[in-house]
Amino acid sequence: MGLLAAGIGAGIVAIGAGIGIGMIGKAATESIARQPEASGDIRGAMILTAAFIEGVALFCAVICILLVFFGG
Amino acid sequence: MFQTIRRLFLTLLFLSISTSHLFAADADTNDEEPVIDVMGTVADHDYIKVPKLINGGKVYLPRLIFWEDGEGNSQFSAFANSKKAVESGMFEKVDEVLAPVSGTITLDMSITSHLVYFWMSMLLAVWLTISMSSRYKKGVGRDVEPKGAFQNLFEVFFVFIRDEVVRANIEGHKADKYVPYLFTVFMGIAFMNLFGLLPWAATATADLTVTATLAVISFFVIQFSGTKDHWEHVFWFPGVPSAIRLILTPVEILGLFTKPFALAIRLFANMLSGKIMIISILGLIFIFADFFGAAAGYGVSTFSVSLTVILYALKTFVALLQAYIFTLLTAVFIGMAAEEHHHEEHAAEHAA
Repeated sequence: MGLLAAGIGAGIVAIGAGIGIGMIGKAATESIARQPEASGDIRGAMILTAAFIEGVALFCAVICILLVFFGG
Repeated sequence: MFQTIRRLFLTLLFLSISTSHLFAADADTNDEEPVIDVMGTVADHDYIKVPKLINGGKVYLPRLIFWEDGEGNSQFSAFANSKKAVESGMFEKVDEVLAPVSGTITLDMSITSHLVYFWMSMLLAVWLTISMSSRYKKGVGRDVEPKGAFQNLFEVFFVFIRDEVVRANIEGHKADKYVPYLFTVFMGIAFMNLFGLLPWAATATADLTVTATLAVISFFVIQFSGTKDHWEHVFWFPGVPSAIRLILTPVEILGLFTKPFALAIRLFANMLSGKIMIISILGLIFIFADFFGAAAGYGVSTFSVSLTVILYALKTFVALLQAYIFTLLTAVFIGMAAEEHHHEEHAAEHAA
């Protein structure tokens, strides 16, 4: 059951993180296209926000790994 | 996008390959060694790997152990390596972990592979920075242009960290005070991550204890740079009804600890996942060879090796990116803590 939970959990995490980072990428490319001179600032903000989403996703990945090894 | 693909791959591979083979070893019916031991490879060891020609590929490291014997006396023992510790008769190996014959270990100060690479990275960072600063003291780079690719590259990184990371996130006059710490963190983590890409080397940052140590240091730096306003925001959030403060204060206090926790987990999980992926994909060769014969192994190796090459390029990028993100977030948090509010705008801001 632990393995199943980890697998399903990891899948949901990947979906969530994918949607989140995809939306950041979409917004960032749109705003760079609209205002190319601000691309440096936008890129910085993009990486920062992506890092936050990644942090949440990796929390869940760690939980999945814990489930695999200690979930029984 | 790459991150997501990477994570997806990690999850798939982790669940499909490594675990089945890891747990195969646990079952009593199957005594043979697993084809590839993924977690064992990425874990911390009491030896460092070297080319096979020297000492059979492993150089064992000293064990320094504080322990209590059966009678409750505190003892300190130092051994040249784990084998010597077992030979001394005071310790024995239980499931590959060193344990006293009687009594318990209170503090294991043994030098491990990750610690060695941590020290090496820090020494490299310190040596690089000191040797470069002596150049600048002599005037190379200040009075004349920086000389050589090495110094030019160093200056690119240093100026980037100082201007884009530190000065951009920490207010005016306070910023330069934090440049030494943040640059050390950046260089140290970048070297640790990049060491992991070398053959035989271990990634020190793929160990939660290493990243947690870095995050704890960052935590103290952040809290000690906190101004009165920062603490006021934590304990007595201005401009909100008192009842709300009952909820806000615990959340803010929790927030103090989740920030460095996230820093540690982010760096750890990123570096570990990269390692696990490469080992798993290369491990496919041996698993296929084991299941379907050598021909299948050769067939899969074309896929595995080419994928690994791409992953290595990605990992080089991720190594620098994660060092940058750790430094950037530390700078952002320091900036948030060190920020001084001007009280008039402050009231207006909260009234709005």
